Amino acid sequence: MTAEEVIEKIKSLIGDDIKNAEVRLGDAVVFVAPDALQKVAGALKEDADLRFEYLSDIRGVDYLDLDREPRFEAVYELHSFEHNHSVRIRVGIEEENPSVPTVSDLWKGALYPERELFDMFGFDIPGHPDLRRIIMPDEWEGHPLRRDYPLTIEDVAFSHNRDFKSELVKSKPPTR
Amino acid sequence: MSVTEQGLLERDKDTMTLNMGPSHPSTHGVFRIIMEMDGEVVQSAQPEIGFLHTGIEKTSENKRYVHVIPMTDRLDYLAPPMNNLAFCLTTEKLLGCEMPDRAKYLRVIMCELARMGSHLVWLATHALDIGAMTVFLYCWREREMILDLNEEISGVRMMTSYIRVGGVMKDATPEWLAKVRKFVDYFPAKIDEYELLLTNNPIWLDRTQGVGAMTREEAINWSLSGPALRASGVDFDFRKKRPYSGYENFEFDVPVGKNGDVYDRYLMRVEEMRQSRRIVDQALNNLPGGPCNVEDNKISLPDRDTLHSSMEALIHHFKLVSEGVNVPEGETYVPIEGPRGEVGFYIVSDGSGVPYRVKLRAPSFMAIPGMCKMMDGSYVADVVSVIGSIDIVMGEVDR
Repeated sequence: MTAEEVIEKIKSLIGDDIKNAEVRLGDAVVFVAPDALQKVAGALKEDADLRFEYLSDIRGVDYLDLDREPRFEAVYELHSFEHNHSVRIRVGIEEENPSVPTVSDLWKGALYPERELFDMFGFDIPGHPDLRRIIMPDEWEGHPLRRDYPLTIEDVAFSHNRDFKSELVKSKPPTR
Repeated sequence: MSVTEQGLLERDKDTMTLNMGPSHPSTHGVFRIIMEMDGEVVQSAQPEIGFLHTGIEKTSENKRYVHVIPMTDRLDYLAPPMNNLAFCLTTEKLLGCEMPDRAKYLRVIMCELARMGSHLVWLATHALDIGAMTVFLYCWREREMILDLNEEISGVRMMTSYIRVGGVMKDATPEWLAKVRKFVDYFPAKIDEYELLLTNNPIWLDRTQGVGAMTREEAINWSLSGPALRASGVDFDFRKKRPYSGYENFEFDVPVGKNGDVYDRYLMRVEEMRQSRRIVDQALNNLPGGPCNVEDNKISLPDRDTLHSSMEALIHHFKLVSEGVNVPEGETYVPIEGPRGEVGFYIVSDGSGVPYRVKLRAPSFMAIPGMCKMMDGSYVADVVSVIGSIDIVMGEVDR
C-alpha cells in the first residue's frame, strides 16, 4: 500500500485511539499518546491488510531547544514485509516522569532499543523485563542524549574544570 | 589471579558461569558475553556492550551536516560508503534534491565495492574462527585490492567519506574505472576459490549446518535484518523492494535461504558478493556522463575553475564552507540495504545547518538479542560460529 492508503486504513481501523495520522515527506506517520501505544501497536501488527510484523527501530527525541510540548518523543519504525509498506509511530512523552509502555511483548526486537531509551533519555518503560543501562556503565549519572546534558564536560578526577562541572551537575535534571 | 578467584568462572553451582570477552579474538570487537553453562551446553547468554561507545549521535547534534559524514564512516567501519549514503539520502530527502545519474551510479559502484569488501572481511574472520586459516589469507588479498581502489578515488583506504550531500567528493577518472573493471573481471574466479575451500567441505558443514537456526517468524520477531533475515526465508531487500540511488536500473538476484542456520547465512553472503560484482559490472558498462554533483550551489560546491571568474561561485563557495547546508525543518528516515542489513539515519532538522537529532538504525545492534537467543541450548564451540554468522561490527553497536 502507499503511505496515503496506509493512513486511510489506520484511520478507519483505530481512528479513536490515535491523535493524528498524516503523510509527512512521503512517510506514513501516526501520532499516539503513551497510554494507547500498546493497543495501537497490537492492532497494526495483527490487522491482515497492514501486518506490521517487523520492528525496525525505536528512537528517542528531546525537543527541549525547540520548546515543543510535550518535551520528549519516542519514535517507532515498523515495516511490513508481506505488503512492503512502513509506518512511523510518534509518541509524545511528558517531561514529568517520562514513561512509555513496552512493546517487547509484540516484537522481541524492542528489548534493546527500549533499554537504550532508558539509558540515553531516562524514560521509564513499564513492562520491560530487564530495564538496565545498555551502553553507558551502570553507575553512570544522567542521560547523555538529553539536550541539557553537557557535551564537553568529562568526569576526570583532577580536571581544571572541576568546579565548572559541579555547577553544571547541580543544574542537571534529577536522574534515576 | 586465576579466573576462579575473579569470580569469572564459578564452580560452586550446578551450572558454570563462563565469561567471554570483552577482548576476545572471536567476538570481532570489544564485545562481552557471560554464559551460563550446563556442562558444555549454553543455557543462557547475557551480552554486554558499550565498550566502544564514542557518543557519535551526541556529537552529531553539534556538527554541521558535512562534518557528520566523516563520523558516519566510523560507525560501520567495514563498509563506510553505506553509512555515508544512508546519511546523505536522508539529508537529500529533507532538502528535496534529486541526484544526477552519474552521481547515483558512482555511489552504487562505491557501495557495492564496500559490500564486497565487508563480506570478504566477514568470510575471512568467520572462517578463521571455525579454523580455516587459508580462506582468511585469500580474502584479505582481494580486500586489499578494494582498499587500493578506495585510496585511489578518495585518498583514504577505509574511511573514504566519498559520498557527500549533493553528490560525490570528485568525479571518477577513466584510469580508476579501468582498474575497477579489472577487479570485477578478476573477482569471480576468486569467489569460486573460496567456495571450493568451504561450501562442500565436510568439516565446514559439520560446524555450520543446523547451528544457530532461526525460523522465519523468530527472525522477524527478533528484528534480524539483511543476510541473516534472508537466510531464514524472508525475501526482502531494500535495493529490490524500495530502490534508492538508481538500483531500479540494475539486474541482480536476491538470494533467499531456507533453514536460517549458520550455513545458510554463509551461502547468502557468498552469493551477495557475486551479485554485487554483477551490479558493479553493469554500472561500469552503463555509467552515464554529465555532472556528478547537483547543480544547486547552495548544496554542493561550485566547480573549482569558476572561482576565479564568477563572483557568485566565490560567494557560494564561501557560504558553503563557512556555514554549510541549511536543511529545511522536518524529520525523515531512508532505509538502505547495507552489508549487515537495514541501515538508515533518522534525522530531525530544525531548519539550521546543524542536525537537531541523528539516530542510526544499526543492524548489528538490533541483531544482538536475537544472536544470544540462537546461542541458548547450543554448544560452547558453536558460540563463535553464531557470532561470526551475524557479522557484528561493534562500531555501529555502541555508536
